[in-house]
Amino acid sequence: MGLLSIIRKIKRKEKEIRILMVGLDNSGKTTIVLRINGEDTSVVSPTLGFNIKTIIYQKYTLNIWDVGGQKTIRSYWRNYFEQTDGLVWVVDSSDLRRLEDCKAELDNLLKEERLSGSSLLILANKQDIKGALTPEEIAKVLNLEAMDKTRHWQIVGCSAFTGEGLLEGFDWLVQDIASRIYVLD
Amino acid sequence: MENEEVALSSNPNPNLLVADPSLQKKHQSMLDRLSNRHQTRLDNSLTRRSAESDSSASPSFESTSNFLSRFSNSKSSIESQLAQCRLCDPTQVKSHLDQISSSISDLEKLVAENSYFLPSYEVRSSLKTTSDLRQSLEVLSAELLPKKKFSFRNKPTRKDPIAEPKEEEKEQEPEKKSGFRVPDSPGFWNKKGEILVHNFKGSEVGEFSISDLDSCEVRLMGSVRALFVHRLRNCRLYTGPVTGSVLVDGVEGCVFVMASHQIRIHNAKTSDFYLRVRSRPIIEDSCGVRFAPYCLTYKGIEEELREASLDKETEKWSNVDDFLWLRAVQSPNWSILPENERLGLVDISKSVES
Ligand SMILES: Nc1nc2c(ncn2[C@@H]2O[C@H](COP(=O)(O)OP(=O)(O)OP(=O)(O)O)[C@@H](O)[C@H]2O)c(=O)[nH]1
Ligand SMILES: [Mg+2]
Repeated sequence: MGLLSIIRKIKRKEKEIRILMVGLDNSGKTTIVLRINGEDTSVVSPTLGFNIKTIIYQKYTLNIWDVGGQKTIRSYWRNYFEQTDGLVWVVDSSDLRRLEDCKAELDNLLKEERLSGSSLLILANKQDIKGALTPEEIAKVLNLEAMDKTRHWQIVGCSAFTGEGLLEGFDWLVQDIASRIYVLD
Repeated sequence: MENEEVALSSNPNPNLLVADPSLQKKHQSMLDRLSNRHQTRLDNSLTRRSAESDSSASPSFESTSNFLSRFSNSKSSIESQLAQCRLCDPTQVKSHLDQISSSISDLEKLVAENSYFLPSYEVRSSLKTTSDLRQSLEVLSAELLPKKKFSFRNKPTRKDPIAEPKEEEKEQEPEKKSGFRVPDSPGFWNKKGEILVHNFKGSEVGEFSISDLDSCEVRLMGSVRALFVHRLRNCRLYTGPVTGSVLVDGVEGCVFVMASHQIRIHNAKTSDFYLRVRSRPIIEDSCGVRFAPYCLTYKGIEEELREASLDKETEKWSNVDDFLWLRAVQSPNWSILPENERLGLVDISKSVES
């Protein structure tokens, strides 16, 4: 059985896409998930473990795993890498002091072999805050251009506060994954 | 599954990416991922189907004790499977280990799916347990399985992202970063023994940073969206409403009087926090921190708090979550500040005028 037959086989299954959302604590992951799901964002607690949401998006079922980013919890991220189609890395663009941390954690994550085939969406969040770095600046700080050429990635500026940029980002991610996984009829 | 793997490894499409061996390997691992993924989908739909047909298998939702009993059953079963591994037929070891691995994955999933309603210490200790089980499995695999030459299987050559040497990266950092300088954000930094006052009223909403202060008093009035506090010693910090979050890192001997939607406290020592907060304050790597309710006033604060939806006492200030504390008993790292030791109402508008 070659590549095509496997893809065809997968194609027949339900169009489910699994997305893992990670990033430093306070970057806005939970708020983003609530926002795209149309839920109230006025009281959001720091995520102790997980926040799992199933969202119907176009013709796909997105299974979104939002994992807490507090340092204590980061070591558990890797338990959830298996079967991830898309990776969303959320950056607090206004947290200038921790950009180095942010870069180090992202670099670590991308070394992970089990994530090697997943598309990467970087959300430069909190664009509504005055003084936030632009997506271009974030891309520079994170040195995204130097990323492995086989990786599909995209950076998008957004705000979970206003909702700006979120759909654009998820559109790209879902299209990119879909075109790889559900490519042929 | 087995068939697919054999087919994949023995019949890589010769037209694809033959030129570059590293690309080829990447490509193979992606193929492998897809086939694993496919298998999981099959498995999932099977489990789902059997769960539907067997109503007793469906969990009673949001019950901690139910979760705990399922968790501990699976845990003991995995532990005994691990123990049996050494005794089993060498030709069976591989499949035995794979099966344990998938049981652990199921357990991880159970934790993840239930974590939203579990008490925080249960989440933490379950996470730790599953991680420890993984660890044991890896140790056992390393011991029992002969080293493979090359495998297309995408199963973990598990690297620990935490344990990996970070030093090395740090060293490369300056050179990589040199192309870009992070602009300074508005704030106060590098001061000693001063009174620092700022009013956000009328300015565009943004973030504010306070760092590297020694023996200072900081008074922030008006509302701000995000506040970052780094490295303070013997300081007092009074703030009006923060409509997003406050991040405190590396403070000692300080007093904070703050109102915010979220507060995260890292590396704090012997400091008091007087808070009004809409979600549970959390501490990580901290000790000797004490909590009390917000006690600040200045001209116009009522209205600012109302606009920021921080006018009501939520009692969350006393509901602190210590991310490093794994047990049900009170964390020794924080406590409630006894009433007779608390500050009275602090009026910062008065002292500014005088
Ligand atoms: N101004 C502004 N604030 C935001 C935005 N997104 C999130 N926030 C605020 O940032 C804080 C952190 O948001 P969360 O969604 O809890 O962050 P998180 O990444 O889930 O954090 P952990 O669960 O600890 O990993 C909250 O106070 C949010 O209100 C944004 O786009 N703009
Ligand atoms: Mg969260």
